[in-house]
Amino acid sequence: MSDHIDGPRQIGDPSVDLSDLFAFRNPENPGRMVLAANAFPSAGASAVFSNAAFYAIALRRASVAGQGDAAKFKTDGEEFRFSFRFDTLEPRTDGKPIQRGTCMLPGGQQLRFVVNDENGASTPDGAFRVFAGLRSDPFLLAWIVGERSLTRCPNLLQHDNVLSVVVECDTRRVLDPAKGSLFAAIVETPPVPKPPGLVTHDPARFDWIGRPEQTNLRLNNPGLAGADDVRDLWNQQTPFAIAEEFKPLFRKRLLDSLANHDMRDGRADWTPAGLAASAEVFLDDFLLFDVLKPITDSSFLEIEKSTLNGLPYKTGGGRTIDAHDFDILLTWLVNRDKGEFMQGGATSATKPASKTFPYLAPPNAQVQMVVTSVDLSAPPDQVWALIGTFGAMWHPLIAGITLTGTGIGQLRTIDTVDGKRIIERLDAIDAAQRFYRYTMISGVPAADYTGTLDVKPKGAGSSAEWRVQYWADGQPDIVVRTIISTLEKVGLDSLKKRFG
Amino acid sequence: MAARPENAMARKPLTDGAIAAINLESARLQSWSRFWRAPERSALAELILEQELLTMQFRSDFGALDRLDRLASAVARADPGAAPAAIVAAQVACAAHRFEEARAALGEAQARGAPSDAVERLSLTLDQATGESLDCVLAARRRRAAQPGCWSELVPLGAVLADLCEFDEAERTYQHALRDYQDVSPFALAWVCFELGMLWSERVPVPRAEVAAQWYRAAIDILPCYVKARVHLAEILLSDGQNKDAEDLLRPALESVDPEVAWRLAEVAEAAGNAVEATTFAAAARAGFESLLARHPLAFADHGTEFYMAGGGEPARAFALARLNLANRPTLRAFEQAVDAALAAGEPLAAAELATKARQRWAGGAAFRNSSMAIWADDFQIGTNEVPRGSAHART
Repeated sequence: MSDHIDGPRQIGDPSVDLSDLFAFRNPENPGRMVLAANAFPSAGASAVFSNAAFYAIALRRASVAGQGDAAKFKTDGEEFRFSFRFDTLEPRTDGKPIQRGTCMLPGGQQLRFVVNDENGASTPDGAFRVFAGLRSDPFLLAWIVGERSLTRCPNLLQHDNVLSVVVECDTRRVLDPAKGSLFAAIVETPPVPKPPGLVTHDPARFDWIGRPEQTNLRLNNPGLAGADDVRDLWNQQTPFAIAEEFKPLFRKRLLDSLANHDMRDGRADWTPAGLAASAEVFLDDFLLFDVLKPITDSSFLEIEKSTLNGLPYKTGGGRTIDAHDFDILLTWLVNRDKGEFMQGGATSATKPASKTFPYLAPPNAQVQMVVTSVDLSAPPDQVWALIGTFGAMWHPLIAGITLTGTGIGQLRTIDTVDGKRIIERLDAIDAAQRFYRYTMISGVPAADYTGTLDVKPKGAGSSAEWRVQYWADGQPDIVVRTIISTLEKVGLDSLKKRFG
Repeated sequence: MAARPENAMARKPLTDGAIAAINLESARLQSWSRFWRAPERSALAELILEQELLTMQFRSDFGALDRLDRLASAVARADPGAAPAAIVAAQVACAAHRFEEARAALGEAQARGAPSDAVERLSLTLDQATGESLDCVLAARRRRAAQPGCWSELVPLGAVLADLCEFDEAERTYQHALRDYQDVSPFALAWVCFELGMLWSERVPVPRAEVAAQWYRAAIDILPCYVKARVHLAEILLSDGQNKDAEDLLRPALESVDPEVAWRLAEVAEAAGNAVEATTFAAAARAGFESLLARHPLAFADHGTEFYMAGGGEPARAFALARLNLANRPTLRAFEQAVDAALAAGEPLAAAELATKARQRWAGGAAFRNSSMAIWADDFQIGTNEVPRGSAHART
């Protein structure tokens, strides 16, 4: 899944684990280029950036150095570097600490900003604007890539958040496209240097990304059974300058992997020479974009594809936030765009991009959970006999229950003693394991509300647990939480009174 | 020998401890949120397990054990016959020191085709925790630590060396771990510093409190939320009469549910002559231990023993807990603790019997000769039937 959790080092500290890199033009002003990078996959609501690493987006001017089976992109030595560095936390009286950061810009300017300030910070001349903070993860992953299978699934990153850094710059003033409009981009997290005089063995970087899925799909293809995991080794390579000694290893892995992907539809759409050329292009791992051509949701990889096909590219390539880049990439790898478009099991990420700064959608609310449990003297079967059917009347706050249908999918309409009506659907039930799960359809101001009732043995008696997870929907969370916790507590207290 | 933090540990590019703690909690909550949406995703269960264990280890949030039990149940329910469910069950049982249950689940995992590396890793943990075949554990730990990229194997290797009283090599191993650490997360490095503190304060035959204190302090500098490091350092400070410093260390840790914080604060208050506060903290500590022992008796039997032998003032209860711990994990340290608890409970014959059993078990090896029981067992053998001067109880 893109570059999410792509090696042991990233699991050690997820805040330096880069997940995605984007390059696109400001939708309302094509004269401004936007670069964005994400880190910390599945970040929670309170996530902050590491102060021990830079989050640096680097660009180099690129050129097409070969086409067709000799496809090659060259980069020059001049680098445009946008390097974010974050401070330690500042305490605040409300208990929620604040984090500030600095972005070092090409040419040496520095911009100070406050993390999660949606306005970000701009240079006085307006040439640069930067943002850093928690956003909705825009990546859409709706495929499960197995050893031999490709299975569609719902978006595996639904409701997830990431930490984002965003830079917007005036294309003409900063990138001077007159010298060449094709660029190659990477993002990396190198460690912040220590004071001089200390001899240490720090890694050059913790993670880096060029194109999406270099590590998790191409280098670590589950179809290559028994192959070593080379992702950490890859992450230690220097962007734009992969070590010559390791190139044969990575080249072979890419070739094997691309050949495997080609055959996933049972058909060889790539010639051996084409596969070798493609491996060579992917070995130079950077995100290509042309600042003078349109970058759209479907232009991702078009520069590489056209060049491999021996044609001049037509779009700005790049990668927009809403691009279905996994599906685009998978289609290219599996059928070289000769077959059907490989649309995954979902058609959109959790939230679409915004047309305005900072472009990445605001973070998703975290799922709320209310769990109540009670230890009872009675054995589990005795407790389950009372509460273990979906229509059972045992709760003191329930005046009546009407059932519609039978088995999984069955609906229960609950009339509460204070005159409210709640409708719930049975999703799963296992009498042997003494649990059932249900979804609330209406009656509580919450979304994605799922409840589980569970009775387990505990010592000579049992333990009953009632768990509800939900998103507060239109009401302050405290209101919803109070409703749910009251339901749970009163219900389980009544069991305690009955069973001791 | 006895390298100091400033010499041994060059400054590393570590994420600030406060940031790391916030991010761990953030990631943990988000992982649970994702897990409940798709409990069948066993990879997520493994991630949660790791995050909960970190939370328990460093923040002393023992509610993690309850949450992990819930995790194991949910995984087993989602995919009852699968190897990952059995691996998770084994890891959760191991975390709660339910070693017998953990071995059974691990056997089940192996039968279901769990990856051999995962099985070996947990099997070694279980053997090490229960003092089984430590020589074999050592050999396996050495083999694993020698593999490239296996930094995380160094700390358990150091621990098993310390268990076998190979203190010089244990220290060298921990130093190696400090030197070679290349990650940005502060948790693992703080753990190594803590283990070095333990080595110098509780494992070597002649403890060096001042060296241990430096390592505990280094652990806290790296990770201020490290409750156990605070408690251990506070113990050293208290024994040195630095009560105010001990109190300053412990107060910020009061929000954790670790009853040892309240226990040590009771000692601080007592030393300061503040009887009311001492009583309040002692009651909080007792309630904390009782709550933990009621939910996870095996996980807290050894800590409960220490408490009831000392501040808790119930030596008979301490001895009962020590026996429970010993039956669960017959390690040399568990024997030592049980002997001390027996003596504290006024049962010297039981103590002697335990010491004799320990000697039979370890056949006079270096570890046993370095233990407080060696002299006890010798004296008992020649029929003195009295508390020997060299025993841990006599020392206290």
